[in-house]
Parts: sequence; structure tokens; C-alpha cells
Amino acid sequence: MNGRPSPGRPSPGHPSPGLVTRYAAGDPDVDDVTAWSVELHLDGCAPCRALLAGGVDGAGRALLDRVAGAVDRGIVSGPAPVPARRGLFGRRVPGRTGTVRAVTPWLLTAVGLLAVACAAQRLGSPQDPQDPLVLLVSPLVPLLPVAAAWSRGNDPAWEIVSSTPRAGLGLLLRRTLAVLLVLMPALALAGRLTGVPPVAWLLPCLAFTAGSLALGGLVGVSRAAAALAAVWSAGVIVPTLVTRQVPAVLEPGARALWAAAVAVLCAVVLLRADDHRRLTSHD
Amino acid sequence: MWNTPPSGPLDREGVVSPGVTQGIEAVDEEELLRRTARGDRRAFDELYRRTSPWLLVRLRRRCDDPDVLADVLQDTYLAAWRGAGGFVGAVAGGSSASWLWSIAVHRLVDAMRRRARTARVPLVEPSGTAAPAEEEALAAHLGPDVENALTALPPELRQVVQTLILDGLSVREAAVLLGMPEGTVKSRARRARIALREALS
Repeated sequence: MNGRPSPGRPSPGHPSPGLVTRYAAGDPDVDDVTAWSVELHLDGCAPCRALLAGGVDGAGRALLDRVAGAVDRGIVSGPAPVPARRGLFGRRVPGRTGTVRAVTPWLLTAVGLLAVACAAQRLGSPQDPQDPLVLLVSPLVPLLPVAAAWSRGNDPAWEIVSSTPRAGLGLLLRRTLAVLLVLMPALALAGRLTGVPPVAWLLPCLAFTAGSLALGGLVGVSRAAAALAAVWSAGVIVPTLVTRQVPAVLEPGARALWAAAVAVLCAVVLLRADDHRRLTSHD
Repeated sequence: MWNTPPSGPLDREGVVSPGVTQGIEAVDEEELLRRTARGDRRAFDELYRRTSPWLLVRLRRRCDDPDVLADVLQDTYLAAWRGAGGFVGAVAGGSSASWLWSIAVHRLVDAMRRRARTARVPLVEPSGTAAPAEEEALAAHLGPDVENALTALPPELRQVVQTLILDGLSVREAAVLLGMPEGTVKSRARRARIALREALS
């Protein structure tokens, strides 16, 4: 087989319309070898495929209409096409790099946010290391890449995930919660030894993760995470930037309250575990 | 006999340059797939309209069960919708039709594998009449020597050759599709190879 005829130029030969029609109708007189030849030709010849379409019988037409309806429903309820992947200079890249591609911008955003906060803190008030910009944005920073790490558009197993209650973003948040719960004592110890307490911002971060899961049982994890981030931004970050004072919720004295909140929220997550047993849209 | 190509509105037009708006009728199928990859539903519907009858007819020669056929077609086009971006058209000279066929035939094998656990699916038997092949069909692609050699093969060997070569399946997949053990597929392929070599030498 030497591929399709080049555009605009007639190819050397086509099977007669009668033969194509008989092949389309499944005529048993069209023997194997003839059919083989016709199929090879049809592979590369769009005009003959159009000719064949006219020869399909009524049962075939009905079947195709039925399938068209089912495909339409599948498309409406499923994700959009995965866009063609291109590497540097528009080169096509085979293989699955969807997750990395989706998460990388968010990771860069998170790192950039931290860098800007650090720079602002150094430039703005070198004499006042208590300027809380880093402290303010840090609790939200890990949530960005975590939330971006799963979306149905880039997950090849999306159909399976959508038929599983505890998957997608909820699963990621639960894992984050588990990791942070274990890491927190070690971080507290390291902070005590070095005098720089990462526990100050990781503890609120932990509370946000647990809070997203607890609230997610009611409204869905995606909405819960977005709502908590919005509340934090509007209720803490903006007022602090205006008043230039460390907010009360981030004072060292408030850490016990954060720890208590984490304990309560984890308990809620465990007690309301049944909230996550139903299927959600996972988008 | 082989005719001059049918002319008409469906004849292929010149190469489509990106960014130029054209009537969807004039766009070739590779371009339809590229538009589908960008989420263009009209392009996908046009692709379905053009290729689904061909795919149905070709699949129907391999499997008779309308329910299986409907499932396979549905799976194929949903996979094509989602995976259109993975179609690397220019590379390796692949046409959109071969791409669709390779999806469809593997879905057919999957469907057969599922069905094999519950019930037997009526397979299309190889047509026993190795009738003198119609001279009209065979000139362009196979050549008279290959045509004669294939016609001389026993039908059960020809069926295996067709599944392995024309359909592009592996031995394991061919065994599922034809409903026979892998060893049988292998031995028939070997016998067919020997017979073809003798006929062509």
C-alpha cells in the first residue's frame, strides 16, 4: 500500500462502484481476496469511502444513528479532547506528560509567590523581620500544586476515577493530610533547634487541608478548597497588608488553637467519612 | 475493472493551510482530526459522518453481532474524540483512516475477550469459495502474483494471514478475534508463509 493519493491528482485506479457497493452490503459473493484488496484501497481513498457510505443497508444506518446518539451523550458527559502535546519549538512529543505539564505552572507560581514575598520582606523592612508576608501566603502555597496535580482533563484513567468515590482531588488532600500529620512533630522539633519555626505556617496549612476535606463532605472538595483559600485571602491577607500588623491568628500564642483546630477537623473528617462515599463529578 | 476516480464535491481539495476558514465539506480527514483535537465538535461530527459507514462495514466482516459492533464503534469514536491530539498524522505516513482502524480493531479484540467469558459470539466464517478472483479488484494493490497465491491458500490459512497482516493484530489478539488457540494461529501462519513462499517463487 502506498498511502493516499496525493491531493488534487487522481490515483491510478479505483474499484468499480458496483464492487464497492456490494462490499458495503456484505455481499457473500465478494470473496476474501477481493475484499482484502478493496479494504487496502479504502484505507487510503476518501472518495471511495464516501461511495461506500451510500451502500450501507438500513440496519447499518440505524446502528450508526444509535451509536451517534451514544457517542454524543459520552462526549457531553466526558472531558474535552486532550490537546496535542508539543515540546520546544512546536515539536510533537509522544508519550504522557500531561500531569507534569499541568502542575509545572502551578509549582512555578507557588515558588514565585514565595520569592516575591521574601523579596518584599527584605526590601521593605529589613529592620523588622516580623513582617508577615511570607507567613501570610505560605499556608496557601502547597495547596496550589496539590490541587493542580489532578484534573480530569489530563488523567488517562479519568473514566475509572469518575466511577470511584474516593479518588481525584479528595485522595490527594487525604494523602497531604497524612504526610503533614506525620511531619509536623519533626518540623516542630527542627524549628525549636534552629529558631526558625516552619510549624508556624505548616500548621495552618495542615488545618486548611483537613478543613477542605471536612467541608468537602458537604459541598465537594474542590469548592471547599477554593472557599477556604478565598476566606483566608479576604479575611487575613488583605487586612494584614492594610494594617501592617501580624494578625492575631498567626501569633505564636495562636499555635495551640491551630493544633486544636487540626485535631477537631481530623476528627470531623474521620467521623463524617461517609460523606465521601458518594460519587461526585470529580471536576 | 478499475475506473477513473469518481469526481464530485467529495473529491479532495488542495492542502489546507492552518488558520484559513473553509467549508467543512472541503476539509480532509487529517485536518478534521486536528480540529477535533482543539475541541471542534462540528469537525468531529463530520469525521463521524464520513468514516463511520466504512468502519462499520469493515468491522462487520469480522464480527456479526450488532450489539458488539455498536459497543466497539461507540468506544472507538469516544476514544478518537478524547485522543485526537495523539494522532500524529504526518509522521510515518499514517492516514486518519488507518489510525481509526487500529483503535477499532483493538476495541473489537477487547470486546471479544469480554464476550468469550460469557457467550460465544457468532464469528464471520471465512468464505469457503476461493472463487476465481474478480480481475477488477486486484490489479492496483496486490498484484497478480500475490492475488493468485492468496486465492490458492485454504480459507482457514487466508483468514489468519488477513488478521495478522491486513488487520495488523498480534498473534495473541488474532487468537482472541478468531476464537482459536494461539498455537493454532502460529502454526497456520507458518503454513501460510510456506505456501505463499512456494507460490511466489
